[in-house]
Amino acid sequence: MTLESKIPAGPLHEKWDRHRFDLKLVNPANRKKFEIIVVGTGLAGASAAATLAELGYNVKNFCIQDSPRRAHSIAAQGGINAAKNYANDGDSIWRLFYDTVKGGDFRAREANVYRLAQLSVNIIDQCVAQGVPFAREYGGLLDNRSFGGAQVSRTFYAKGQTGQQLLLGAYSSLMRQAANGRVTIFPRREMLDLVKVDGRARGIVVRNLVTGELESHSAHAVVLATGGYGNAYFLSTNAMSSNVTAAYRCYKKGAYFGNPCFTQIHPTCIPVHGTYQSKLTLMSESLRNDGRVWVPKEPGDKRPPEQIPESGRDYYLERKYPSFGNLVPRDVASRNAKEQCDKDKGVGETGLAVYLDFADAIARDGREAIADKYGNLFEMYEKITGEDPYVTPMRIYPAVHYTMGGLWVDYNLMTTVDGLFALGEANFSDHGANRLGASALMQGLADGYFIIPYTLGGYLAGASLPEVDASATEFRESEERIREQVDRMLSIDGRRTVTDFHKSLGRILWDECGIARDEQTLEKARADIAELRAEFWQNVKVPGDAADLNQALENAGRVADFMEFGELMVKDAIERKESCGCHFNTAYQTADHEALRDDENFCHVSAWEYTGPDTDPIHHREPLYFENVELTQRSYK
Amino acid sequence: MNWFVQNISTAVGKKLLMAITGLGFLGFIAVHLAGNITFYFGKDAFLHYVETLHALGPVIVIVELVLLALAVIHVSTGTVLFTRNWQARKTRYAVDKSAGGRTIGSRTMPYTGFLILLFVILHLCQFHFIDRTQQTPYDAAVNTFSNIFYALIYIGAVILVGIHIRHGFWSLFQSLGLNHEKYMPAIRAVGIAFAIAAAVGFAFIPIYIRAVT
Amino acid sequence: MSSQTINLTLKVWRQNKNNPRGALETYPANNISTDMSFLEMLDVVNEELTAEGVEPIAFDHDCREGICGMCGAVVNGRAHGHMPETTLCQLHMRHFNDGDTIVIEPWRARAFPVVKDLVADSSGLDKIIQAGGYISINAGGPQDGNAIPIARDNAEKAFNAATCIGCGACVAACPNASAMLFTGAKISHLALLPQGKPEAKNRALAMVRAMDELGFGNCSNEAECEAECPKGISIREIARMNREFIKAAFS
Repeated sequence: MTLESKIPAGPLHEKWDRHRFDLKLVNPANRKKFEIIVVGTGLAGASAAATLAELGYNVKNFCIQDSPRRAHSIAAQGGINAAKNYANDGDSIWRLFYDTVKGGDFRAREANVYRLAQLSVNIIDQCVAQGVPFAREYGGLLDNRSFGGAQVSRTFYAKGQTGQQLLLGAYSSLMRQAANGRVTIFPRREMLDLVKVDGRARGIVVRNLVTGELESHSAHAVVLATGGYGNAYFLSTNAMSSNVTAAYRCYKKGAYFGNPCFTQIHPTCIPVHGTYQSKLTLMSESLRNDGRVWVPKEPGDKRPPEQIPESGRDYYLERKYPSFGNLVPRDVASRNAKEQCDKDKGVGETGLAVYLDFADAIARDGREAIADKYGNLFEMYEKITGEDPYVTPMRIYPAVHYTMGGLWVDYNLMTTVDGLFALGEANFSDHGANRLGASALMQGLADGYFIIPYTLGGYLAGASLPEVDASATEFRESEERIREQVDRMLSIDGRRTVTDFHKSLGRILWDECGIARDEQTLEKARADIAELRAEFWQNVKVPGDAADLNQALENAGRVADFMEFGELMVKDAIERKESCGCHFNTAYQTADHEALRDDENFCHVSAWEYTGPDTDPIHHREPLYFENVELTQRSYK
Repeated sequence: MNWFVQNISTAVGKKLLMAITGLGFLGFIAVHLAGNITFYFGKDAFLHYVETLHALGPVIVIVELVLLALAVIHVSTGTVLFTRNWQARKTRYAVDKSAGGRTIGSRTMPYTGFLILLFVILHLCQFHFIDRTQQTPYDAAVNTFSNIFYALIYIGAVILVGIHIRHGFWSLFQSLGLNHEKYMPAIRAVGIAFAIAAAVGFAFIPIYIRAVT
Repeated sequence: MSSQTINLTLKVWRQNKNNPRGALETYPANNISTDMSFLEMLDVVNEELTAEGVEPIAFDHDCREGICGMCGAVVNGRAHGHMPETTLCQLHMRHFNDGDTIVIEPWRARAFPVVKDLVADSSGLDKIIQAGGYISINAGGPQDGNAIPIARDNAEKAFNAATCIGCGACVAACPNASAMLFTGAKISHLALLPQGKPEAKNRALAMVRAMDELGFGNCSNEAECEAECPKGISIREIARMNREFIKAAFS
């Protein structure tokens, strides 16, 4: 099978318009004859389910939590980008497009990113109309701020909880459709398989997490909006239930996986305290506007920060990047923090942290000014660590945050399985090798509100879809396979808990496929994961039974998939013999230790085809063509 | 009227009923207290007040009927709220601590309310449904409070009234939607002052009567 | 701050299909680092229970950063524990002392039936939103976001009401298991914005009625909800709901 990106012809700025015109339409009267499954209720899932229902389709919407409003989009802090140019500072659709392509280190499709930039404008209008309480200026108009190193103010925000407010907007639209019966919500359900009939996606099998029953649901198309896979690393800023299972099981059914090694590691998170830690908390990167990052000059210097004199401190970002200083992009900041800790200059009990010091800013602007800007972040830090950042420098460390990789999709957001679509973080499409701040929310909502309603209609209108119901043998077979796996996990009764395996997997991936990678450690990671996976199926202990709310069992299935998926990530990292964005292979770097791309050989998307649990996946490549921007080398000196 | 019944029987509607009837009682208490102050000016002053009041004739009957209606609504709605609220949590907490929102007044509203109802019945029997040809209201008060047992009951009851008002006063503003950052502290203060005035003002009457007779 | 370890005794509500009535069970929680969050402490206890062959304690949780609203339990009689404006996942063990006994119970309300152990079904809150907690607007071509200026003060008030995370602590803490703070916050958020005005009347009536039908209790202005709300939402939102309701009911 060849990869057809289906990018429409024509000039960049006309592609989406032309494509919308070319897409076939479903007659409004016929829409109610179609059942659509949407898995996930985050920004992408909730907006897609609500919008499809508004058009008249019958939607079944599934989520893993007790309510659609819990999806992890809710935790996004910073904001959402839109090329409104309200600030009159030179922003435009073109600039947002260019910044996103460049920020992604030229590993995303021009056409997709341009469409995203175009739609960004509509998103804000839509959200305002829904009642999203964005920050406003005294004149009553929307306020913007600059974010993530952008040179223009294009980020719309709602204090530090933009994600929650946007999600509540989408959720309220979803609830409206649930009330009028167009959407049926299935909470506390976990998708465990995609069901194909005659080569097309025609349904899913979910586990009811309360009763343990397996439920089959048929449909004319399946839309996956199940988020990212950062929890493969065990510790990440993702929610506890974020997982790769739904996407991975689609991969096993023939959907190619795009760029699995592209994982964004955010530089400013609260560091790990101990082995019991369950998750990491992000501190907004806006802190780097005023905080100075430093470590002790001498390796192994364990004195408390106030006892280390100015002469004993190394402000390494300011030293190495005099023009950008503490404001270098996420990937650069993360790599440097790790480098310092590897030299035994890390601080705190674990030695895996660097200081982010506000003493100079407080001395310069006064405590009040700093509290005004960062008060809520400082409080959050104090709540978690018990330390007062006004007095003691913050300790921060990078953490896994977002995954640019995901199911490979074409311009219509359809995967390589006909009738299976992937939206939001679950697909690979728009961020290339590195995502810019405040762009994830934008992509999720663009996909859900403004892209899938058109492209899904185009698919339904053009496909011949005989009636299939959930009693078809394909569903029975799928249920049987899931039941076998569940029974197997429950019967092993070994010595190690699921969490214990997950932690081991996380340690392998973090150490060997993390901020900086090289071929040798990646090969080691492959062997280590394979070994761990074998042990899992011999020695895991899953208590309880299948016909009950059983959180250990839920996790066991997720961790089993994370292990197989971990091998795929590593495989992808090995095959990409260049450095780009978040993927930093130490063998490929410039003289200044920056990521060195190889556009000659790797200006492509890697898409992986599943062949079996113990055989190598097939590597497909979708070449990327840059007709509108010039490929350049990033520099932050 | 269907819309009216439908709206007034909702959770917010019932709060409104409690608030409006409660407001009526606050007015009554204020007038009652003002009238009773004449007690401190001696028997003649008090009886003059009683006569003036009774001279109003049908107006008094109307007021009494309104008060009766308020009482029926306040008590029946309160009873419905009490039972519904009890049913809204079938299993109680093994450990139940306040986070600081509740006050003695708010905690005990249904109980103080019930005791006040009993007291009102007693009070009406002793002062309202009496043969006025046999004794003046002044004499009735003197006779009743000469019994230390009744005096204590009355003092206790008006303290309960004070506690009930302590929560009821600001609460009725909240229920009517009148809670504003700027004005609520003042409303709460007035409520406490009213509660104390009512409790102290009424409680001193039996004490005063026992002292002078 | 250097971490210490403390030893605790937990009394945890256990209830499952084999024990539908439920009861408090006692478990030791030893060597608990004071840097742990409350849920991490439960994780540690669960790992030990699993090793001993006891089924781990089921509890809801997801983001563990205080925003998704999924976690929650009544800890020593207090919803989300005793720290102000803190969700259970953000409550840290440094606020407990060595030797403490901690009683952990699920949210209790007729409208929130216990599913298992500390997991309660709070989907009633979604149903209240379905009754009218939205602005009826389809995705498509709304007017420009800046077409309607909204006074900053109103925008801020709407935002403050909208910070509700739907955790259900207000219901759990209310002596009457009432959902008025939740409903009031949602009605207020939309009533304060011009976009929400056209439907304000129906919204207030429908959401209040839904609340009753779902079996939530009545508000008696005890203000426990306000004191326990992890987002510090004020009972002024309830007053605003009452106002909206009065306007809608009698106009």
